Amino acid sequence: MKQTVKLFARAKDLAGTDALEVELAPAARVVDLRSGLAKVCPSLNILLPSLLIAVNNEYASDDSRLPENAEVACFPPVSGG
Amino acid sequence: MALDPALERYSRQILFREIGEAGQRKICGSRVLLCGCGALGSVLADGLTRAGVGFLRIVDRDFVELSNLQRQVLFDEADVAEGLPKAVAAGRKLARINSQVQLEPLVADIHSQNILGFADGVDLIVDGMDNFETRFLINDTSLATGTPWIYGGCIGSHGQTMTIFPGETACLRCLIEAPPGAGAAETCDTAGILAPVINVIASLQIVAALKILSGHRDQIDPALTIVDVWDGTLRKMNTRNLRDQGRCPACVGGVREWLAGTRGSQTTVLCGRNAVQVSPAERAPVSLSDLADKLRGVGEVAVNPFLLRLTVNSGEFIITVFPDGRAIIKGTQEPAVARGLYARYVGS
Repeated sequence: MKQTVKLFARAKDLAGTDALEVELAPAARVVDLRSGLAKVCPSLNILLPSLLIAVNNEYASDDSRLPENAEVACFPPVSGG
Repeated sequence: MALDPALERYSRQILFREIGEAGQRKICGSRVLLCGCGALGSVLADGLTRAGVGFLRIVDRDFVELSNLQRQVLFDEADVAEGLPKAVAAGRKLARINSQVQLEPLVADIHSQNILGFADGVDLIVDGMDNFETRFLINDTSLATGTPWIYGGCIGSHGQTMTIFPGETACLRCLIEAPPGAGAAETCDTAGILAPVINVIASLQIVAALKILSGHRDQIDPALTIVDVWDGTLRKMNTRNLRDQGRCPACVGGVREWLAGTRGSQTTVLCGRNAVQVSPAERAPVSLSDLADKLRGVGEVAVNPFLLRLTVNSGEFIITVFPDGRAIIKGTQEPAVARGLYARYVGS
């Protein structure tokens, strides 16, 4: 399945786009999405370990399954202030 | 019934149904620790003081500089000219705004040895910091003392906030296993910051604080709120089930590495060299060329395969960063100053 991933903040800046498409096997998990992002956009690598992933507006851990037609959004945690 | 004259100044806030006179009395009896008084911190301090908290302890290690004035709303050119510490300048302004609030401005670097003292006897900790390391330390302190805290962070046009009730909701470490390695996170000094996002995030933090202090903590959603003022978006990422997954070493496992001082950056004063070495909490390789790209707008940058050298403040400080993330900050013998410069330019 093709999964669209919305990118925010520095993830958007590094990727140079506000959304990426990642090809995933059926019943893929968030960890597969993370490695898929690394393949389609290696410039995200520096952020990937700490990137927060929300699936349908819920925090998703690496072992969560991705439902079909999910809305997926990625945010790097931010530290300025 | 006429309002108690001591509460007259809060009449408009009291008229707001959820606060009322009873809620205001609770706010007036509350004690709050504000960690950091930069951009977020000055909006937070202003809001909490005007709202009438009983006691506000403000801890900050930094001095007011001209480049702060674009967003750090408590400070002005006279503070820059006097070279005042931010805590002191904030204390002076706040005392003129609301003399009913007991203020305790402290010029100090928050670390594992002193944070429990700062957090002693407070009902709430509010985050106005500029680095992950201190936030993980605040998180451990919150868990150890049972004190709620309100995370807030901003960069560029983007900001995030989440309220943590220790032992009940997800904590910072549930959300983020470890801070990004040195140089991986952007800072306001490398990526810039729009003042409006500071105001939005700090305002959301103040609302959470008022809910907690007035007795309405049940009205705070367990969620990370994510704002981008340039895009005009506000999203919430639900964290209701995150703590129940039971994997957090800090809030479920009871491990307090940051508070114990076993995790965190280390500083060493290099005697006779007017320099301090900072070793970051997360030992991860740093790409010096990527860091050089981020720092070119900040000061003079020289880079070779072995080190990066950044000169800032017209030569006052020379920051030498090595590929293992370690840095030597020349121009100071104060660990607090060195840690501050590291957080601003390399990121921690």
